[in-house]
Amino acid sequence: MIEIKNLSFSYLNAEGKQKSENPQLNRVNLKIEAGEFVLVCGPTGSGKSTFLQTLNGLAPNFTGGVITGELLINGVDLLGAEPHEFSHLIGYVNQQPEGAFVADLVLDEIVYSAEQLAISKEQIAKDVQRLSRLLGLEDMLDSPLATLSGGQQQRVAIAAALIAGAKVLLLDEPTSALDLQGATEVLTLLQKLAKEEGVSILLAEHRISRVIGSVDSVIVVHGDGLVTKGKPAEQFNDTRFAPPIIELGQKLGWNPLPISTRQAEQLWERAPAAFEPKTINQPSGIVCEVIDLEVTFGLVSAVKKTNLRLFGNQITALMGENGSGKTSLCWAIQGSGTRTSGGVKTSAGDPKSLSVQERLAVTTMVPQRAADLLFLNSLADELHESDTFAKVPAGTTANLFQKLTGRIDTSIHPRDLSAGQQLSLVLALQLVKDAPVLILDEPTRGLDYAAKRALANQLDLLRDEKRSVLLATHDIEFVAMVADRVLVLKEGLIIQDSSPLEVLGHGSELASQVAEVTNEPGLITIGQILK
Amino acid sequence: MSVLTSNRAHFFSTSRTHPGAWWLAGLALSLSASLSSNLVALIAISAGAMFIVRLCRDNAPWSRSIRFYLFLGAIVVLLRVIFRVIFNLADATQDVFLTLPSISIDLGIGNSLHLLGSVSFLSIQAALVDGFRLAAIILSIGMANSLANPRKLLRATPGALYEIATAVSIAINLAPQLIASLKQVRRARGLRGHSKGIKALTGIIIPVLEDTIEQSMQLAASMSARGFGRKGNRTHLQLLLTRVSTFLTLTLLTVGVAMLLFSPVQQHVDLMVILAGLVFSAITLKLSSTRTTRTKYIVQRWQLADLFIVISSALILLAAFSGVFSK
Repeated sequence: MIEIKNLSFSYLNAEGKQKSENPQLNRVNLKIEAGEFVLVCGPTGSGKSTFLQTLNGLAPNFTGGVITGELLINGVDLLGAEPHEFSHLIGYVNQQPEGAFVADLVLDEIVYSAEQLAISKEQIAKDVQRLSRLLGLEDMLDSPLATLSGGQQQRVAIAAALIAGAKVLLLDEPTSALDLQGATEVLTLLQKLAKEEGVSILLAEHRISRVIGSVDSVIVVHGDGLVTKGKPAEQFNDTRFAPPIIELGQKLGWNPLPISTRQAEQLWERAPAAFEPKTINQPSGIVCEVIDLEVTFGLVSAVKKTNLRLFGNQITALMGENGSGKTSLCWAIQGSGTRTSGGVKTSAGDPKSLSVQERLAVTTMVPQRAADLLFLNSLADELHESDTFAKVPAGTTANLFQKLTGRIDTSIHPRDLSAGQQLSLVLALQLVKDAPVLILDEPTRGLDYAAKRALANQLDLLRDEKRSVLLATHDIEFVAMVADRVLVLKEGLIIQDSSPLEVLGHGSELASQVAEVTNEPGLITIGQILK
Repeated sequence: MSVLTSNRAHFFSTSRTHPGAWWLAGLALSLSASLSSNLVALIAISAGAMFIVRLCRDNAPWSRSIRFYLFLGAIVVLLRVIFRVIFNLADATQDVFLTLPSISIDLGIGNSLHLLGSVSFLSIQAALVDGFRLAAIILSIGMANSLANPRKLLRATPGALYEIATAVSIAINLAPQLIASLKQVRRARGLRGHSKGIKALTGIIIPVLEDTIEQSMQLAASMSARGFGRKGNRTHLQLLLTRVSTFLTLTLLTVGVAMLLFSPVQQHVDLMVILAGLVFSAITLKLSSTRTTRTKYIVQRWQLADLFIVISSALILLAAFSGVFSK
């Protein structure tokens, strides 16, 4: 189906010369068979997206850079061809479907590429019927795309990618913006596509544990140019991106490593390990009190009347499906977001009534798109501006940033940092303000396991400083690692406010991987297990 | 009242009407405005355009861009009046409206430049008419842009214009996208705060531009990955001829209309240019339809409401041509 020979790819440096000393992909050789289901993984910023994009011409045509080698698709070398020359062979789905939609209605979106390729109306009608049945889209063909849930939108994007007859599907983190239900929906369908339709699937995905049991092979993009392909169990020696069950297997010395929850369950049953109880920190005093808070946008009620107390020395996770009101609640508490009624009490008064400068000394926040907060031309300028604003000694922000990410050349442009580094930078900028309440909205999106562990350590330090952290996220494993308390939000209402052991424990809808595998009450995260 | 508006919004709502109808209406209104020299008529056109947007818009991102056009229109009117007051050619025979101290600047070439001084009623009125004419044109185009779904418009364009229409529709899409992104970034910037000495503008412009360019690139990449831009079974020569002919059509039509509007003296020349444009448009359509390169699976049909929009705006244009708005 696809055969890659000696494929190399490198970006150009500022002078327009090839960065030959560190190519993104270096002499890659591999084959992908028809109907093969392949998981593509690697640490943050290693070039997973670039690898996928070289397969349908998006790299270098849309990214810049130099590509060499051979890219054989059904025996024809298509290296360097424009993406539209691949559209009948390879379908492409990216992270955010809404940004890539070219139409407004589901049917228009699905048929777009068939129209571009001048496929006959009769054939299109047949394919629409087949794909919409397969992907469960029959009832929504006339709906506007904007009214669909994230999972449904991704299903439309998949149908649209396959309509022109492509037998290979590239998916670049298709579930990273979805809640658990949406993600499960999409991943189940992919398995069906590979099995029933013989579509080869290359899936870059960070919820590795959800798919690893059903993939045929794993491609690892190591980040130093090396790309390897092999069986799932052989490919996870690198703990930077190993999923929790593999990490568990590594910690307990299981051989071979488990690749499905089932296997891990059996291995645990045979030889359960001892574990310590989860440390739940005792909260100190009330830092922030939310009173009768409501948020409505037009006719839509995002947050219904909510009362909530946030305590110092406590990390509170805010969970719930997409659209349940997590982000609206975060912005409303911070004080710069919309509020319809109600208020928030802190030691300095209601953050809403304070000036920007005063407010940031009470409640700081890292929003979903952290990079929006960066606006200067070099890392050094950003760090300096932060010290000046917070009136702290020069170098304070830089020290904090270094603690989070390690040493980085400060002449670099902030936009050239990786997603994880940008997040660390914004986190450092916000932490320096020394506010007692820190709000984080989806901070782990796009981070590998190593970066998540670094973030968790930092949050632990903050808690020790008696601060209160509010963490809105879908990331169950991360919550299991850090949270002292979990709030579950549904349709704008807090429907659960309890210990993580209860919300993430075995049998719960939001059970963590470790809880699922071990079936031990009180055990939810790997850190608890004693070697 | 609410029942009435919701019914009307249903019939004329942008999700059901043809985007071409709104662009024809917008062009007709702006043409009427450019032919008019009556302040009341111009204000009526501006207000009318705003009112129609209010009535018919859906909750789509581009429908909010009318505010941007309103802002632009207001600035144009204001600037016109301010400039007229500053560069005021005082005429003793006219009624004085406002007396300001006069400033004379000797240019050193015999005559001097007079600024300010006594401002007459007539000159203020003329400035207002000029300003509102431009504002009415801006708002009419703004109306079309706010109501016509750019993606639907793209689907409805004939094959020959497809590539140009794609570029135009992405450009049109940019304004609402900029506004959405501006809002988001401004909110995020409130979370950072900034010390004195940092220009507030750079803090907003850099992320907004980055965001907008990134989004446009993403859309372009997605379109390309899905087959947009394939030359199909046409030869390179055919492709070249089609493009040249499309370019000539658009240039001739634009120049012709501009001549018709701005120099009504040479009426025969401009009609000839427009005619030549029409001939080339026929050639373009013929060239591009010789071989199919795209399927139209779903065809947007003209509805009764579209007909109503086009006819009523044509009537306004007719009235403008007959000189009703001139007095």
